Amino acid sequence: MNPVIYCPKCQTRLLDGVFNRAELEPCPNCAAPLQIEVFPAFFRKITPGPPAQAVMLEGESSCFFHPQKKAVVPCGGCGRFLCALCDCEFAGEHFCPACLETGKSKGRIKALDNSRTRYDSIALALALLPVLIFYFTLITAPMTLFVAIRYWKAPRSVVRRTRIRFSIALLIALVQIVGWSIFIINLAAKKS
Amino acid sequence: MAGLKYKRLTRDRAAGRFIAFTFTQTRSSLWLGDDHILFVENSGFTETYKRFYFRDIQTIGLQQTKRGRIWNIILGIFTAIFLAIIITMLPKSSPAHWSGDTIAGGVALGSIWALFVLILMLNVFAGPTCKSFIRTAVQTEEIPSFCRLRQTRKVLAKIRPLIVAAQGQITVEEVSARMQETTTGVAAQPSAPTPADGAAPPILS
Repeated sequence: MNPVIYCPKCQTRLLDGVFNRAELEPCPNCAAPLQIEVFPAFFRKITPGPPAQAVMLEGESSCFFHPQKKAVVPCGGCGRFLCALCDCEFAGEHFCPACLETGKSKGRIKALDNSRTRYDSIALALALLPVLIFYFTLITAPMTLFVAIRYWKAPRSVVRRTRIRFSIALLIALVQIVGWSIFIINLAAKKS
Repeated sequence: MAGLKYKRLTRDRAAGRFIAFTFTQTRSSLWLGDDHILFVENSGFTETYKRFYFRDIQTIGLQQTKRGRIWNIILGIFTAIFLAIIITMLPKSSPAHWSGDTIAGGVALGSIWALFVLILMLNVFAGPTCKSFIRTAVQTEEIPSFCRLRQTRKVLAKIRPLIVAAQGQITVEEVSARMQETTTGVAAQPSAPTPADGAAPPILS
């Protein structure tokens, strides 16, 4: 990215006068009140990574993916030797590209975990929403039970950690199932 | 990294403004981790996360907007309209002689009026509105939950020391000096497309 900052309203390049001030300062062009905090990372130059070095000596360890390149570090996931090109340093550890991808897709590297399905919200919605047309609860109550039991141990939200929604959904689903059971039994009893 | 604990920085806010009352809106919130800020977007049944590590945050910008003032005007107009309706429709006789329908109508209109007054008061007390952005080397992300100036500044005061601890301190004079150097360096390079050239305007770029 260019090391310049534009006004978010008028897109004029901001040169000075609005950075790291205690109060809002007007944009020199559109006078929009701005407060922009600039940190040292803004001026940090991105340096290219080291190039992979060729294997020079007989018996020297070589990269698993590039046998002509010298190995510099083992992969923290699979243990394979990696050259400087294959080395993906992340969160203080070294991974090969395959382990990095697997770590992301299987949730082994927590810092790469960037989405979660909220099964507890799905179960609660299945339990609550059909109550408006309660005949649907005959179908949704067992579905709620299935979702709550099947995904009870699935990874929950990173920030909200309790199973309260699952518990409420289970309770409502059980009440609905008991209600329908009583209704069906009464119906059968009346017919006979 | 198992068992990461997060502290909430902002409440859930709708990502869009005029779709604030739709059922399937995306709501976002900000959480504080040990070495990063977690931006959570919740679209009902899925959550997506973006992490802004303290060592990578380049700028945090906020721009005051007129949205709060506009809502104050709209709510004020509705409040005045309902008050005018109540005053004109209420009978001149004493309340003891009002019929049940009149009382019911008065209560209904009065409730709506009171609701508008309540929302107006809440909007006034929440303070001015703003738009906020966090920029790193690879992205500039608008933070919808930073929508009130007072609240945003409180949160910034909380996270600024953490960013300074990760990156070091930089004074206003150093920023000015390095901005001048950067501008000179950028001017010497072949010009990149600017917003005036028709390229998509960057927000903070």
